Amino acid sequence: MTDRAVFEAQVLPHLDAAYNLARWLTRDPHDAEDVVQEACVRALRYLASLREGGARAWFLTIVRHASYDWIERHRDRDGGDAAIEVAGDAESEPAQIAERRGDSRALAQAIAALELPYREVIVLRELEELSYKEIASVAAIPIGTVMSRLARARALLRQSPMLHAIAPRRSGGER
Amino acid sequence: MSERGESMNCAEAVVAIGARCDGELAGDAAAALDAHVAGCAACRAEQAALVALRDEIRAQAPRHVAPPALRARIDAELARAFAGAGVDARLASPTIAARAKEAVLARVRTWTRERRRWFAAGAFAGALLAVVVGALTGVVARHWGGDDVAVAAVESHVAATLGGHAITVASSDRHQIKPWLSARLDYAAPVVELADSPFVLAGARVDRLGGRPVATLVYRYRLHVVDVFVRPLADAGDAPALTMVRGFAVARASGAGMEWRAVADVEPAVLAAFVGQLARTAAVPSPVGR
Repeated sequence: MTDRAVFEAQVLPHLDAAYNLARWLTRDPHDAEDVVQEACVRALRYLASLREGGARAWFLTIVRHASYDWIERHRDRDGGDAAIEVAGDAESEPAQIAERRGDSRALAQAIAALELPYREVIVLRELEELSYKEIASVAAIPIGTVMSRLARARALLRQSPMLHAIAPRRSGGER
Repeated sequence: MSERGESMNCAEAVVAIGARCDGELAGDAAAALDAHVAGCAACRAEQAALVALRDEIRAQAPRHVAPPALRARIDAELARAFAGAGVDARLASPTIAARAKEAVLARVRTWTRERRRWFAAGAFAGALLAVVVGALTGVVARHWGGDDVAVAAVESHVAATLGGHAITVASSDRHQIKPWLSARLDYAAPVVELADSPFVLAGARVDRLGGRPVATLVYRYRLHVVDVFVRPLADAGDAPALTMVRGFAVARASGAGMEWRAVADVEPAVLAAFVGQLARTAAVPSPVGR
């Protein structure tokens, strides 16, 4: 197979996953596009290191690196967590926002407000449904750390002031 | 809380509950946890809370989908990266993308030089070849005049898409693009959106063509980027309605006092129909025209 065929067959099917990860990490739709394009260029360059069956984790590893590089470059611009551009914000996806209930925005905000190490494990686990092993490989951390970060991230989400609206429903489930 | 839940206590259980919810706990560890949770109301509540949180996240946190514009950019990247690499399998090296890009640019440059030499030395041969090629492909190149502009247009198209700078002002709204262009040009370029067309307006940039700045409207057609150069007819010479340059189709039409020249890696007939429709739509004032 040519490089192009390999790329199209193995890597491109994970473009949505790549964009989703980049979008949550950069918290900006346009920057996420730039990051994914850059990741594709890198993926082409490193195509020889792609192993059978592991394309998604392999590509997401590259996307994560590209995202971190972008975040490093734009550290000044970001201005900390004060002005978080929440996923699904402004005019970008009005229809999507309209049909969501009030608390869903709060949930997205709470995730967006997590620090990167916690945000990425939540996105990889809950939205991309990666296994611990895959997350360990993408985030370059031991499996034990995946576990503890996920636990911490979930605890932070449950404590998040942005989520108080849905908290009662959660704790009401079990006595 | 239970003092001693089988072989597991609450502190251990709390750590394991997350893994259990994630389907990452199996065998003895899972059995030990389940036994503990069965006898411990607090840990049952914890487990229920985690499951509820997971369901909330999956139901309500958006999993973003790659926008069509991004797919188009990546497709353009691929097309350019491999355009010059018929032997791409052998290019698998740390610099494959860079090398492939260089190869494309070099070929475009070389070809342009050759093209100019042709003009000097073999205009007749060139014209003859054009007739033959035209007859073979159904493309009727009326004559070679103004052909350099087609070459320049293709070079501009390749350079812009290669560099990822196809669009300077990104908008699908002609009312945003038009003033942006007007501020940068000495003529008012019509900006046309076509309703119900697979060609979708994506933005614009300003290029140089024939030594003058021109408006370049950027459309998306499926996975392709289509550049449409719009300039006053007065600046444009006569040129073939349809020609091929380095595998790119270059189609031309006139309307609203402008020359419309589209460049893209798409079916020539489709591109010609599109540019004709643009020129006609611009020429006919209508509520949704321009």
